[in-house]
Amino acid sequence: MTWAEDLVQALKENNVSFIGYVPDVSIYQATSLMEKDPFFHVVAATREEEAIGIAAGSYCAGRNAAVFMQSSGFGNCINALASLCIPYRIPIPLFINLRGQVNEFNIAQVAMGRATRPILDVLGLPHYTLDSPEGLSRTVSGALKLCYSSHQPLAVCFTPLLHGGKIA
Amino acid sequence: MRRLEATKLLVGHLHNEPVVSNLGPTSDELWHTKHRDRNFYTHGSMGLCSSIALGIALVTPERVISLDGDGSLLMNMGTLATIARERPRNLIVVVWDNEQWGQTGHQPSHTAKGTDLEQVARGCGIPKHATVRTLEDLDSVFQQALHEDGPWLIVAKIEEAEYLPHGPVEPEATAYRFRSTFLASQGSASKR
Repeated sequence: MTWAEDLVQALKENNVSFIGYVPDVSIYQATSLMEKDPFFHVVAATREEEAIGIAAGSYCAGRNAAVFMQSSGFGNCINALASLCIPYRIPIPLFINLRGQVNEFNIAQVAMGRATRPILDVLGLPHYTLDSPEGLSRTVSGALKLCYSSHQPLAVCFTPLLHGGKIA
Repeated sequence: MRRLEATKLLVGHLHNEPVVSNLGPTSDELWHTKHRDRNFYTHGSMGLCSSIALGIALVTPERVISLDGDGSLLMNMGTLATIARERPRNLIVVVWDNEQWGQTGHQPSHTAKGTDLEQVARGCGIPKHATVRTLEDLDSVFQQALHEDGPWLIVAKIEEAEYLPHGPVEPEATAYRFRSTFLASQGSASKR
């Protein structure tokens, strides 16, 4: 199985079936699988904070929801986490492709990519970084269980060492 | 048309439909009009009221109502395009348009300077839309929206009035109460 297939399987096993996303070429390896799978309802949003709002609505109507984005988009959704998910205790797992890592070619991606995990830290939200497909299922399943038991969002971050990165 | 009277009119037509309300007086007036477990009062995340309602509408067959505002929707107009793309037939977005940011000192918003949110919605591809200026017209189009497939975008031009006291700010309880009504209807226990 590829990392993306492992990830999709972990979402299914944890009953996370509603996906909001803003496209990213690396996470597309996973979202493209979900778009073909009737288990999932995949919604493309215009902006990451909108995806958080849509996912929060899904969760509050009884269907677990996750959001996929890249780190630049994480910068667009901080207030949605801080003033919606955190105070309302709406557990939305975030899957974030970290730009600004090894092999990055675009300086405009570096600062936000490097700031993403420190911002999660100051918000008090746990995060896990995957550099390799090895152990992915265990980490993602464990993160999802923690997300729902703690009733808070958290993030699983991907680096180019996991998925091959963006080809410039 | 005053928002409080308009809110009372809409709520008078509702049974158990979920309602998401924009932060500030829209949520306060909904609470004072009639508190229900199926009211989702927002207190932050400005701009996301109709996005939250969209998420709800995509997972329940029930009619879902968003009570949004002009300043808030202007902050996240892209969600109108997503509503059009997803086309939930059961979503009704009502925009209380007072043409100002009422909570921050009544600065004129873009709708006071020519932006027409109904036309924006139409341009995005939302199939049902209207602009109303009287309680009678709001009554008529809202009843139509409750029975005729959407998604709907209804711009209701309102005038500002005295603000009511704040409703309770208890977001965790709001989300818990709201979600529990869906879990109960799914036949599973309300799990925390």
